[in-house]
Amino acid sequence: MTIDLQALVQPDRVHKRVYTDPAIFELEMDRVFGQAWLYVGHESQVPNVGDYFTTRLGREPVVMVRHTDGAVNVLYNRCPHKGAKIVPDGSGSAGKFLRCLYHGWTFKCDGSLLSVPLRSGYEDTALDLKAQQHSVRKVARVASHRGFVFASLAEEGPELVEFLGGVATSLDNFCDRAPDGEVEVAGGVQRVIQRNNWKIFFENLHDTIHAVATHESSWRAAKEEFESMPAGTPKPFEVVIVDGNGEPLEFWEKLELKGYDHGHGFMEGIFVPPTDPVSLAYVAALQAKQGEARADQILRVNRHNTIVYPSCSPHTSFQQIRVIRPLSVDRTLVEIFSFRLKGAPEATFQRTLKYTNIVNSPSSNVMPDDLEAYNRVQEGLASDGGDWVSMHRGMGREQPLPGGRSSNGNSEMPPRNMFAAWASYMGVQTGAAE
Amino acid sequence: MNFNDWQEQQDITKFLFNEARLLDEHRWDEWLRLFTPDGLYWVPLVHGQTDHLNHASLFCEDALLRSMRARRLEQARAYSQQPPTRTVHVLGNISLESRTEAGCVVRSTFHLLEWRKTEQRAFGGSVLHTLRREVAEWRIEMKRVELVNCDAPHEALQVFM
Repeated sequence: MTIDLQALVQPDRVHKRVYTDPAIFELEMDRVFGQAWLYVGHESQVPNVGDYFTTRLGREPVVMVRHTDGAVNVLYNRCPHKGAKIVPDGSGSAGKFLRCLYHGWTFKCDGSLLSVPLRSGYEDTALDLKAQQHSVRKVARVASHRGFVFASLAEEGPELVEFLGGVATSLDNFCDRAPDGEVEVAGGVQRVIQRNNWKIFFENLHDTIHAVATHESSWRAAKEEFESMPAGTPKPFEVVIVDGNGEPLEFWEKLELKGYDHGHGFMEGIFVPPTDPVSLAYVAALQAKQGEARADQILRVNRHNTIVYPSCSPHTSFQQIRVIRPLSVDRTLVEIFSFRLKGAPEATFQRTLKYTNIVNSPSSNVMPDDLEAYNRVQEGLASDGGDWVSMHRGMGREQPLPGGRSSNGNSEMPPRNMFAAWASYMGVQTGAAE
Repeated sequence: MNFNDWQEQQDITKFLFNEARLLDEHRWDEWLRLFTPDGLYWVPLVHGQTDHLNHASLFCEDALLRSMRARRLEQARAYSQQPPTRTVHVLGNISLESRTEAGCVVRSTFHLLEWRKTEQRAFGGSVLHTLRREVAEWRIEMKRVELVNCDAPHEALQVFM
């Protein structure tokens, strides 16, 4: 049965099937995740030759590995001999070469075949060991932006920098915030399982108006906690990052949302630059290395979640990247990586981890109500109570930007923008991207 | 290391059983009061984790964060607590790990069943309680919960373990 995708996406609404139909999920794996540049990881995760890190790009298990020439390769984690995944899931060091556990075929860290046991057994057979197909297959394209490694499973398509468009500046600012201009992954990876379609999570990233409703339990708890403290107590960081969700809708409306081609975008920062000792020491370190004028320029770029569609969401001011890996039509894995700003005081990284623990950990007090909402959406969409999901708010009021569009903070421009990209990958049109 | 005598073993065992019961009965305020003011509730993210400041955790909560969690669980609009999480702890293998100046470190193992909405989850592992003797009662300086599957992907972890 063919699916009439064109009938499912309109400029201001989408049909529920795009969230619930397993056949559409499979098409997304082919067409969205099979074409887009997908975030793989950061070069600092594989500092030495033979270091590897495994992940999934769409349906494909891949391994990012550092080769002897210093290059970071992204290979399908599949032995060309019998098909075994060559390295175990996770990260580690493979030594100087990759060796399959099953029959001991070995490969260089760029995937090329090094040796096989019983080479003589292949003489006079149709199997030519020099042929490319007996090396570990590389993913079609790999490119890096400031150390952030992306891969595309498609041979053709825009270059990475063209793909990133307006959100390349978020990745730049992510690094520029380091006094030494570089970042590194540190402090472990948290992993959260969501019982919802991956697109529901992406849409929530720039859904400002859910905050005051969905997060009432956590922002009220934070406010009550603060009110119970002695008068004059400075508001602790732990409270600031939780009670902010209680801001009224007028607060969010004033924030600018930007949407760029290919579904990307970012939200202006919601936290005012803090003036506590940890933040001030960090600013001083940045100024000492970069000069006051440059430091000011860097810190002026104050953003909340950035969306790099369809694979990750960097948070530039708290140094996190959330990586989104769809598992099935109604199940999504989110992996949270924390980054250390090189040259910043140790307390800066400890604050990053505090944000990680409080906001992004499976034990977050904020997130369970999000997960509950996503899951109720997923379950509600399966019902016959209605067919369409609305994205009408603020329709037609976007302002054009080079390579994109902007809107006020309460607009549903971001999901419209994401679905314009989605439709384009899927081979249809919404007409939403003006 | 051995307990001094049956009485000490009994005291500590009763303390741990009571602590688990407070959690299972959602008596959050009473549970919070078991901690010293600078006490830490910690569930490491990886096996053998030694640092809670420079490495992410599953839970890493001082008095402020413990109190915020307890307050949230009791909010009328805690949607993810509709229905609330139900738990039962089963403790065992209680042993004295070491003695400190003001108290001791007790190791136990646990099995925790958690039920909410659609699925019963099972957690298990060991717990290190760093206890301080304060006049007639024990207080918790640190509760470190070492989950067997700490490094697995998890759905939301809402209640204290």
